[in-house]
Amino acid sequence: MDVVRPSARVLDIIGTVARLGLAAVWLISGSIKVSDLNQTYIAVQAYDLLPTGTVSIVAGAVPFLELALGVLLLLGLGTRLTAAISAVVLLAFIGAVAQSWARGLTIDCGCFGGGGEVAAGDTQYPQEIARDLGFLVLAGWLLVRPRTLLALDGWLTTRNAPVEPVDSHGRT
Amino acid sequence: MGGAERSARKRRQSQTAGNRAPAVAQHKSADRKPIIIGVVVVVVLLGAVLGGVIYTNNRKNTTEGESIATSQLDEAATSAAGADTAFPVKRDDAVVVAGKNTAKATIDVYEDFLCPICRGFEASYGADMERHMAAGDLKVRYHMLPLLNERSDPPGYSLDAANAGLCAADAGKFPEFHKALYNAQPEEGSRGWDKQQLAKLGQDLGIKSDAFKSCVESSKYNGIIQSHFEQVRNTPYLQQDLGGGQQGFGTPTVAKGQKVVDTSNPKWLDEVVGGTS
Repeated sequence: MDVVRPSARVLDIIGTVARLGLAAVWLISGSIKVSDLNQTYIAVQAYDLLPTGTVSIVAGAVPFLELALGVLLLLGLGTRLTAAISAVVLLAFIGAVAQSWARGLTIDCGCFGGGGEVAAGDTQYPQEIARDLGFLVLAGWLLVRPRTLLALDGWLTTRNAPVEPVDSHGRT
Repeated sequence: MGGAERSARKRRQSQTAGNRAPAVAQHKSADRKPIIIGVVVVVVLLGAVLGGVIYTNNRKNTTEGESIATSQLDEAATSAAGADTAFPVKRDDAVVVAGKNTAKATIDVYEDFLCPICRGFEASYGADMERHMAAGDLKVRYHMLPLLNERSDPPGYSLDAANAGLCAADAGKFPEFHKALYNAQPEEGSRGWDKQQLAKLGQDLGIKSDAFKSCVESSKYNGIIQSHFEQVRNTPYLQQDLGGGQQGFGTPTVAKGQKVVDTSNPKWLDEVVGGTS
């Protein structure tokens, strides 16, 4: 009845921008981490959160998980699930940064390379958390409305999604 | 290709059919595809995680079993000086004391074998310090500490290397061992050298005794190194400004008496030996 809401096309475009944006975030952060795996180990270790043996495992897994999330988002394959997992990963990152802040550790998050201990005046916890929250918004959009343009999802699934609104509209 | 086209056509057909009369068949195929996609996503992500862990682990382990090069950090500078080990070296508890007892100046050098700035310090001043030690006007007390013990993967390189340094001092090869380890310094976050490799380095440098090997492999001095480190890091006069208003102990630190020497001054060594510091 109220036709003030943006058209499906506009929402699709916003979703596409969110998807490609989040894909870029993961691909960039992941490839920086992969290019210096020793530094990634230092970054993970600095959170002082994990038992000794698991630091190595997490530091080995995270860069490649980020890259894989980036590729899936770029392709638009399983967008809702990928967005959900992205959100979980981002929440874990935010939690890790927040606990460092709360415990008074002085570290760099190592989100986009770098990481490890820094001088007390050089921490940037609020900025780091705000940035992750921004990425979380992108993931949240795709979680709620995963339909985007230029996505494998659109090609692979039956194209009943665009038909549905017409159907329901017709019925009411 | 042909198959894809056909299935696409089928899909279109089923869609138009579905528009007219919502068929159960259409719902079935539409329900199954997201599941398949979901499975693909999970498999891709798990593959990335597992593959990543395995790859990273293999990559780090490439140095396993390798021999540590015996080449010295400042080969050219020391051989030019011809000073090598022309000064006495002995171990005093967790400290290695190098130079003659009659030397006028004594300094304490606090280092970690994994610390990159320590490597830079040794590269810049190691040869000069040895020259002064050989000339008999400088005595250096080396404190090798496990400050960055958590920064190797697996952790422990700093402590293993510090222990091996003390073992090498017992065996009379400390200067060579010390310089070879700095020359072949592993990157922080990398695997480091294990005890077998450290023992092998000593043997390659000419240490014959089995006591050295067992000293390295049994971590003989870990206990005294740890307690010495605790003592050093809590010594008030060794606390320095680490930036951002933070005080703490760091490596490398050089001290003369109870005063930290400012090694950012390039003339610090001359001043120490000249007695003006």
